[in-house]
Amino acid sequence: MSAYRVTQHAALADRKPVVRTGVSLEALAEGTVLHLLARPNTALPEIIGDAALSGLLLRSVSVGQWFAVGRVALRYEDLDAIQQKLKPVADVVDQSHGRVGILVRGPHATHVLAKGTAIDLADATFPVGQSSTALIGHIAAHITRTEQDAFELLVLRGFAESLWDDLVRMSLEFS
Amino acid sequence: MASLVTCPHCGPRPKEEFTVKGAALPRPDPDASPEAWVDFVYLRDNPRGAYREYWHHTSGCRRWLVIKRDTATHEIYTTSDAAGHRGEVTP
Repeated sequence: MSAYRVTQHAALADRKPVVRTGVSLEALAEGTVLHLLARPNTALPEIIGDAALSGLLLRSVSVGQWFAVGRVALRYEDLDAIQQKLKPVADVVDQSHGRVGILVRGPHATHVLAKGTAIDLADATFPVGQSSTALIGHIAAHITRTEQDAFELLVLRGFAESLWDDLVRMSLEFS
Repeated sequence: MASLVTCPHCGPRPKEEFTVKGAALPRPDPDASPEAWVDFVYLRDNPRGAYREYWHHTSGCRRWLVIKRDTATHEIYTTSDAAGHRGEVTP
């Protein structure tokens, strides 16, 4: 056995929540992120119809691709069951440790994000429940409007600290 | 180069989100002559005007697109998912 033990380290463990006037940043605890990859012509009802996803929420990623996201880490048996149920429709890749969630909340959240991304975040074009992948600065992130004033960003783990520090700077005008 | 590219899946996005592969050319038959393959793999025109290229929406939906654009005016005529052009032989 190796003398070096594997250690668990949350990606944004040392980043304290940032609360400013009208906008706040919060690193989300690592829960469950499953990447579902289906054929391009697969519709959302087909995915949902085939599997009770253990309370996970589906978010569109691309053509025939979704993230199934949950706040709690699922046990291996539950993940296995989901994979078996979805087998006829989609392949499942566990991204729970690969992608990190950051919550940007507050009436000024759109102002902060607009500094880094080209997506039109207006209510009409990006309503609650809508999600999209786009650049924030130079980092690609998956953006979901979870509430009227709340956006959840899913970013690759290796870019999480960099994106967090960018968001801190982008929100400075509201401090 | 045009600054805004309208992805058929994601809508208008800045060109920084994309990677350009190059001219979308008709692929020779597997048993075509070596000259035809050298032409397809290495030789490129550098046209002034209408051009047809493969673009990858790298930082967005990660789909391959076929984009028809004008190299002189920077205008983009059409964008479409490359899957719809599968097996196409005419440029």
